[in-house]
Amino acid sequence: MNARMQETPLRRTWDFSLTVATVALFGSLGVQSFLGTLYSWWALRTLPGWEQAGYPGFVAVMNAVAAPQVVALVVVMGLCVPKRLFSRRALIGVSGGMLLLGVVAGVLTDSLAIGLAAYLALAAFIQIAVVALTVAGARGPSYLTEGRLTKTGSGLLHLGFVLFAIVVVALQRSSWMLPVFWTAAALTIGGTVLSFYAGRFAVRRLVPVESAEESLAD
Amino acid sequence: MDVSGTANTIGDVLDTLAVIGRPVQAGLLAVSVIVALMSIVPALRRWLGLAVGGLVLLLLAGEGVLAWFHWRLYEAAAVVSPETGQVTGHVTVPLWVESEKLYVWAFIVAVMALLMRRHREELLPGVALTAAALTAGAVLWGRPFTEPLPQFLGQYGGYLQAMATGLNQGSFAAYQGMEASRQFYYNTWYMWVHPPLLFVSYGAFAVSFVATLHMVRTRFSAFESTAYRWARLGYLPLTAGMLLGFPWAILAWSGESWWWSGKVNMSIMMWLLYTAYLHARLYLRRRGIWRWVAALAILSFVVLVLTYLATYIVPGAHSYA
Repeated sequence: MNARMQETPLRRTWDFSLTVATVALFGSLGVQSFLGTLYSWWALRTLPGWEQAGYPGFVAVMNAVAAPQVVALVVVMGLCVPKRLFSRRALIGVSGGMLLLGVVAGVLTDSLAIGLAAYLALAAFIQIAVVALTVAGARGPSYLTEGRLTKTGSGLLHLGFVLFAIVVVALQRSSWMLPVFWTAAALTIGGTVLSFYAGRFAVRRLVPVESAEESLAD
Repeated sequence: MDVSGTANTIGDVLDTLAVIGRPVQAGLLAVSVIVALMSIVPALRRWLGLAVGGLVLLLLAGEGVLAWFHWRLYEAAAVVSPETGQVTGHVTVPLWVESEKLYVWAFIVAVMALLMRRHREELLPGVALTAAALTAGAVLWGRPFTEPLPQFLGQYGGYLQAMATGLNQGSFAAYQGMEASRQFYYNTWYMWVHPPLLFVSYGAFAVSFVATLHMVRTRFSAFESTAYRWARLGYLPLTAGMLLGFPWAILAWSGESWWWSGKVNMSIMMWLLYTAYLHARLYLRRRGIWRWVAALAILSFVVLVLTYLATYIVPGAHSYA
């Protein structure tokens, strides 16, 4: 039981690279949040009237710094989502096409939010297809995890995050905000439960997540 | 509105809480010291499980006293419109705000220390020590029995004073502030869901942190697996709690500068780091990756503690600073 940490050679696969990029972007946004906290703390303590005069500018700078990182995260997510439907070459084309459509929508409307929302909407449609194919047991989608319920959970929670991103980017002042938000919350939470605990729900026990990860390494 | 009657009732309730609470606080401190000693001194560890059980029982008794206090407060703390004289509602102060936040966290960690089974023998000293430290912090810093709910009692006291002056701009402004706090903070459904979910996640992450430290020290992969099990248990309520905060924030902080405020920033950072940890863990067995995974797990917990402290240090929305 108490085996020492086993290690296998590091192979830089496409999936591995996407995972590293995802982790790096999460970390980068985390660092930005931390620096933002430090700056606002310092400014509130030392600059009189900063909350009224300086805060809007601070928010604008934070948004400007975060925007390319969020776009990159969305692009990586976009690469992750259709990778379960297309070959590598087709994947690059589809992802590039989605990005292009987002850029065109953003340029035509002169709105980064609409461009992002258009891109996210396309990602959501593809993710819905991925979830449907996974539930149906089709062989197309490829996952890092094993077991249909675990895969479905993974698909649902990523769909939930895409929908939540659409809410943040485009629907905060819309009457659609609450219905879409609750759908996103239910998908994210339900998907996370399935993704973490699918083995407990399965009628016929499937390969547990951790064993699957170990076999991946083997 | 019977202002002096309400003030007297609340004063009496506070006095009774202090009388009952002082021995509870002393007991909690004493048991915390005992649990800490047993966690640190290996020769005393055979009774550690029993001591943790005692700590949980005492914390539960204290929580019962606090529940009584909140019930009496609910009965007394009516909000009355100075214009109409009608009661618009009573303030329902949740059991996990202000001076009671650390207490709830300590209670949840202590319960988890009592219930955990996997690697219990190895992890119990670390988790019990965490529970003891949190309990001591809750008693010495939070002071939920002797100096309870300073923000609420300060605001409600100000409201009562203003109401005593009759119908004027001051009483109307105080009423509006109190009613807004009642509707959008104390009595809202969100306050009964968001904080408990986060404290459950904080408790689970504390156990995960202790397991990660064991993994780093011993290099045994089984500890990493235990750390992951607790981390995923913590990640679920963390994600749910933060998501559920979003529509509430839009409604309650409408017109306020809350996006990118200090506490919100720190919370987002914590979630991002735990998400990064769970993603990085997919490649745990690849050469060198486990060190990054362990570093992320440790960093995430450090940020969790900083996020908690930010509430008291960094001014802005969602802050007592």
